[in-house]
Amino acid sequence: MPESLIETRDLVKRYGDKVAVENVSFDVYGGEVFGFLGPNGAGKTTTIKMIVGLLLPTSGTVKVAGYDVQRQPMLAKASSGYVPDTPNLYAKLTGRELLRFVGDLYDLDRLQASRRIDELLRMFELVNAADDTVDSYSHGMQQKASLAAALMHDPRVLVLDEPTVGLDPKSARLIKDILRQLADRGAAVMLSTHILEIAERMCDRIGIINKGNLIAVGTMDELRASDKTGQTSLEDIFLDLTGGAEEMEIAGFLR
Amino acid sequence: MTLLTSTLTHPPDPRVLPAVLKLVLLRIRISYNSFRHARLRTKLRMIFVWGFLLGFAYFILSASRWVLGLLQSPKFVQYVSIDLHSILASIPALTLTALFVMTLLTSFGLLLQAMYLAGDMDFLLATPVPIRAVFIAKLLQAVLPNFALFSLFGIPILFGLGISNGYNVSYYLSAILLMIFLALAAAGISSLLVMLVVRVLPPRRAAEILGFVGAMSGLLCSQLGNFANSLGGDVNISGTRLAGILLLSNVRWLPLNWAGQGLVALGESHWLAGGLLLAGTAAFASVVFLFAVVTAERWYYTGWARMQVVARKKVARPSRTERADNGIGPQLIRLLPKPVFAIVQKDFLTLRRDLRSLSQLVSPVIFGAIYTLYLLRGNGGPPAGRGDAPDWFIESFRLLRTYGNIGMSLFVGWMLLSRLAGMGFSHEGKNYWMLKAAPVRISHLLASKFIVAYAPTLGLGLVFLSIISIVQRLPFPVFAYGLLAVAMCLAGMTGILLSFGVAGANFTWEDPRRMNAGGMGCLGQIVSMLYLPISFGLFVAPLGFASFLDYPISYGYWIGLILGSMVTTACTIVPLWLVRKRVEHLGLG
Repeated sequence: MPESLIETRDLVKRYGDKVAVENVSFDVYGGEVFGFLGPNGAGKTTTIKMIVGLLLPTSGTVKVAGYDVQRQPMLAKASSGYVPDTPNLYAKLTGRELLRFVGDLYDLDRLQASRRIDELLRMFELVNAADDTVDSYSHGMQQKASLAAALMHDPRVLVLDEPTVGLDPKSARLIKDILRQLADRGAAVMLSTHILEIAERMCDRIGIINKGNLIAVGTMDELRASDKTGQTSLEDIFLDLTGGAEEMEIAGFLR
Repeated sequence: MTLLTSTLTHPPDPRVLPAVLKLVLLRIRISYNSFRHARLRTKLRMIFVWGFLLGFAYFILSASRWVLGLLQSPKFVQYVSIDLHSILASIPALTLTALFVMTLLTSFGLLLQAMYLAGDMDFLLATPVPIRAVFIAKLLQAVLPNFALFSLFGIPILFGLGISNGYNVSYYLSAILLMIFLALAAAGISSLLVMLVVRVLPPRRAAEILGFVGAMSGLLCSQLGNFANSLGGDVNISGTRLAGILLLSNVRWLPLNWAGQGLVALGESHWLAGGLLLAGTAAFASVVFLFAVVTAERWYYTGWARMQVVARKKVARPSRTERADNGIGPQLIRLLPKPVFAIVQKDFLTLRRDLRSLSQLVSPVIFGAIYTLYLLRGNGGPPAGRGDAPDWFIESFRLLRTYGNIGMSLFVGWMLLSRLAGMGFSHEGKNYWMLKAAPVRISHLLASKFIVAYAPTLGLGLVFLSIISIVQRLPFPVFAYGLLAVAMCLAGMTGILLSFGVAGANFTWEDPRRMNAGGMGCLGQIVSMLYLPISFGLFVAPLGFASFLDYPISYGYWIGLILGSMVTTACTIVPLWLVRKRVEHLGLG
């Protein structure tokens, strides 16, 4: 049985009367890529932010690499890397300075950090832009710099919020390959995405959240087996579970 | 199906004015919605501000009527030898010139923001709206608020003159029309300048430079003005010189004077002269505005399109040996924990590279430099003669003078700390998630922010103190004691301001000049301003008492050191200890 590196139990997040996440419990194991799907406003980003310690849950617990995010935040954060949906990076630092800064935050050995920076810049094809300030990067380059920063300390847990948005096909493919390699080396990778094809192809297991509730978790085969309408594609299963089938009918009418 | 087809095949309306109207109405709608959805406190504040401005405009109107009536009274005229009629007649020209120049100067930054840095350009240019309409709508959006503000001052002055001179109704109507024409012409020229600048510099960089230049020139003008006054030169404007300036506004060949002269002529029922001058002004303004609009068709789009190809800013990469020695210094690298060093280095780099942040930091340095010039001019020597004053009074006065000047370095430090410590956490902005998601201890975070604020302030204080010591020929013990007092007081002030900065941290700003969003920042400044004389007084007052009570001065030094150190150390540590839990929750929803 692989080790559970992300463990959420009865996770709840309320904003006043509005419930953003309700009793969400799931595990992400080492060596797997876990896709987290849901319509807009379903609670994906809120859940992810609670996992990486950027949001306090109203109730429930989150463990990352076996450490409670609220009680042992330093250990939990040291084990994880995070790529947000919007890459807000220090605009006036160069790409190289940004990675150096992150290396120091994670207390990496400077020599080791230098080697890692060169490696990541080469891997993400940012070598030519390494000494340019981040505010001159395109969205895709910022996204890649953000991912490089998350990988600086070679985390055991990597959490990504919409990592492929704004990336060209080559970069998107590169990221998919990197995430697969990370998982193959025993890391737990959790990513949220709207692109169901990506989820279907690269994720070992998938969780679907709708209106703050986790409505399905499992492998593609398990999701197919549990779907009462006998749908076979992830898109159909997703729309069936989240109530998007009605919208599809309207779209068909307009066609 | 039918509905969709008919909508899509309908050709877009190519007319400019309806499109401008739509865009302007949209802007009004957005402003109305912002007001409607604002908190009650914000609504009341806005209503109060507008009420106050209207009240102020009424005050200017009444004051103008009263002053102008007084100037024209026969009793007043017999006491002055200058031609008051000419001076009064020049008021419209001066008012309209001021409106034109102010609009020209203030609309540059606003137009740059509205035309190139607003987030709606992608959306607008993707719709079938003529680019000319987008340009005009942006122009109006940028100019209207300032025009309304200037009108609140300009209209009462012009109307006050009209009422006191008994001008006919055409004067009032023409005055408003001319203000609109001239404001549009000024905005047109400003927009041409913006479009030219954007062809050379990226808009964001232009905005940064503009912010820096604006802040620096404002500060330099005000401080150098004070300095020039202190030199005792003849900078007072005499009545004759003032009259000369006013009469200059009657020069015929200046296009901006046509408007004022035309208004007066019209008010005095000289229809032909007034009509011709006003028509000339209107024609001049229209030509400028139309030229801007026509030019905008091409320049505006190409300028905006250039923005899509972002020019990279290359930062010179230091050599390997330089890298080993640069930054805060290799010693500090060994001393500080890595996360602390990382944050300190990052903050110094980002502060230095963003001109808008830099302008906030340069202000205290300029203030300090100008105050140093004052000191250098006065040589810092004691006043001549002692009269019959007792020895203790002379000694206390000397101490007050010496330490008063040292205290000035604290004030300069306070200005710098207000930015560096008071906004230390807010400085992170939307990037705060990077620190939040990393395993950084609260103590490390506070320590790094403390160092970022304290180290440069202490450096500046040391420089300032050294200059004072040289100018005033202070003995070394006084310099050393002063340095210790300044260092301790600044540490306490850093603790206080940093703590208030934590309590009022704002991570949502776009422009670093607007990061101080809450009342906590102001409260922190008030508290630290109160702390400043108290803490420094604890160091210095015992020296005066020792002198008064005829004790050896060393007693004063020791007591001052003990009292001052206790209070400043407490102010350094206690506020930060109180907010440590708050730091833990910063940025958490």
